[in-house]
Amino acid sequence: MSLPESMSRVVVVGTKTRLEEAIEAFYSVKVLHVIDHTAGADGMSIGTPLHTNLKASERLLKVRAMEKELGIGKNTETEKVSATEIRSQISAGGVESIEAEVLKVLDVKNDLNRRITELNAKKKSLELLTALPVDLELYSGYKSLAVIAGTVESDPSDALRALADSESFVSFKKKKGGVAAVFVRAEDREKAASILSEHGFAEIAVPEGKGSVPDALAEADKGLADLSAKLGSVEKEVEALQIKHKTFLRASDEELSIEIEKGEVPLRIATGGHSYIMDAWVPTKKAQAVMAELESRLGNDVHIEVEETRGRNLHEEEEAEERFKKVPTKNNNGLIAKEYEHATSLVAVPKYQEIDPSVLIMFFLPLFFGFMIGDCGYAIPFIILGAYGLKVTHHKDWRAIATVLFFGGIWSFVFGFFFFGEALGMHFVGEWAPPLHMTWEGLLGMQMPDWFTGLLVNGHGVSKLEGDDVVMLLKLAVYIGIIHIMIGYVCGFLNIRRQHNNKHAFFEKGGWIIEFIGMVVFCYAMTQVLFSKAPMEGIVLYLLLVGLAMLVIGLAVNFKTEGAKAVIELPGVIGMILSYARLAAIGMSKAGMAMAFNYIVFIMFMGITKDVGGDIIWPGPIMLILTLLFLAFLHLVVWTLGILSGGLHALRLQFVELMTKFFVGGGTKYEPLKVKRIKTFLTKTEADKEV
Amino acid sequence: MALEGEAAGIAAIGAGLAVGLTGIGAGMGEKDVGAAAVGAMTEDRSIFGTAMIFMVIPETIVIFGLVIAIIILFAL
Repeated sequence: MSLPESMSRVVVVGTKTRLEEAIEAFYSVKVLHVIDHTAGADGMSIGTPLHTNLKASERLLKVRAMEKELGIGKNTETEKVSATEIRSQISAGGVESIEAEVLKVLDVKNDLNRRITELNAKKKSLELLTALPVDLELYSGYKSLAVIAGTVESDPSDALRALADSESFVSFKKKKGGVAAVFVRAEDREKAASILSEHGFAEIAVPEGKGSVPDALAEADKGLADLSAKLGSVEKEVEALQIKHKTFLRASDEELSIEIEKGEVPLRIATGGHSYIMDAWVPTKKAQAVMAELESRLGNDVHIEVEETRGRNLHEEEEAEERFKKVPTKNNNGLIAKEYEHATSLVAVPKYQEIDPSVLIMFFLPLFFGFMIGDCGYAIPFIILGAYGLKVTHHKDWRAIATVLFFGGIWSFVFGFFFFGEALGMHFVGEWAPPLHMTWEGLLGMQMPDWFTGLLVNGHGVSKLEGDDVVMLLKLAVYIGIIHIMIGYVCGFLNIRRQHNNKHAFFEKGGWIIEFIGMVVFCYAMTQVLFSKAPMEGIVLYLLLVGLAMLVIGLAVNFKTEGAKAVIELPGVIGMILSYARLAAIGMSKAGMAMAFNYIVFIMFMGITKDVGGDIIWPGPIMLILTLLFLAFLHLVVWTLGILSGGLHALRLQFVELMTKFFVGGGTKYEPLKVKRIKTFLTKTEADKEV
Repeated sequence: MALEGEAAGIAAIGAGLAVGLTGIGAGMGEKDVGAAAVGAMTEDRSIFGTAMIFMVIPETIVIFGLVIAIIILFAL
């Protein structure tokens, strides 16, 4: 079984003067997983970032700000730029000069936006004031008079009459509300305000100006149109800037981020007056090569030693110093199993000391998916879609789905053809007798050749909807489940054995294995007695007793380890096994739906009947095309549901039934020092330097 | 189906009840777990696997119902 890759811990010691060069070398070997230095240990302190970092972060901040303003994001399409070129552009002040150019335009844009907002606010006030017959200059410029203008929710005219020496203008419409302007003595202002406030008054700032309000409004409109036109042309300029600089900005963003990341490495290692010490994990098989490479690059200014190669036994972990306890997990899978690592990581990252379930998932997930779908007609689109997905997508979620669809599709074809012998919910072979027996032979009025029927199980395939076959499918599903769970237990046993010893493994997992086998044997004997009506004697009786005995022994072992919990979990064993009945159940539900849809289209819509000779009477061509389109749509529904239910249930059986038997998780991901370039690339000479 | 007449009808009702009632039960169970799981996942995407494991635990009940229904319909 695949364990994560074996790791060794190395310590790298070097002179501080060549630290910058050393960091470049660390990145170029791409396998060093740095163990963060904790301050205080060894009398060394945590290092400080490289001096170049300050300038780089300043520049990155500018680049990011510009990207945001110009609307350049991750998905903006740009060309790839050589890293050397972008570096020289940056150091020649490229970022600063572009910033000056961009800021100039952005300042104009922001100023225009601000003026438009102001003008809009003014326009809104003016629009309200148009209802009153007062010129703008009359609203201000008094010494002893106070002017209050604003909107009201109810008509204040009557109440305002009570104010002595005042002039008020009110325009009120019942549905829209109204506007009021009150001119009172300065000392009566409070009084007027309190009257108005009872009518839902909200003051508006009267814009300064002269002449009638409608004139001012027209002027504001003109101003707005002017500003909008200017803004339009500035926005075009911004767009032009975006196109002109997007490649540089994306590339320099990436380059500067890389530079900063590299510059921060000293924060993770220990430094003293003249030297630095770095602890790191490397895959054991690469340790020697890494040592040789670093020594050849840095010569006498570096010394590297392999401190330990960590085994899988947990006592090694316990004895280790705190920060060396956890070893990062580097999955060790082949080309196909790699695609399933994402599925595993949805639960957790495997621990360094345990089996990586990805390989088991690789085998069982598509198998279960295929068994549940079990139909040639649905399998082919799955295979095509999966292959297409694998070709075009790089996102790990989509790749995982595409992988399941592709391999699941292949299994689905295998099961659908040889085992179930059906396509689109109809068997290949058999009589036409709807609704249960609708077959391709019957529909197309032909006889399948003997070699073809010879390929199918029972000569016609297994039906998902009829008596004995269903019982057989159910049994098969349960047997598959027993094997699947057993594999889980065995993996659990191997894990504990590797982490501790045989005795430990026996008490932790061995008890469960015995109990599980006992339960299976016992249940088998019981079903023989209950359903097959076998008499309780001979083999059945022995099986019953053996099963019971194993059950009791297993329970006793578990009781010793887990206490009363072991007894409570006992019925769960049956639950687990029966849970695999879904393998048959989902296949049945798919077949049931497909049958119903076929019946609707062929019998109810097309009205297919047979004449005396047994030939099928087809409908006219237009009707035929329409109904076939409808049929395609209905099968698309079944197919889509197949992805959801088939995929999810197959995954669930891995996560819940299989992985809980052995998988603990909680490992740390292996994250070596290396950079990922998307928008920039290294020239050949540079790339050659990196091993 | 091996049963005849009235017995067959009652058996069919029994099978229907077995699937239907367990379905309701599983639904009620998953309702609570699912709501909590989605809530938790908005906080932290990485717990999807664990959340799904909890989410599908009540689902097994309906499988039990289905097994009983199949036994009633096909095996008795």
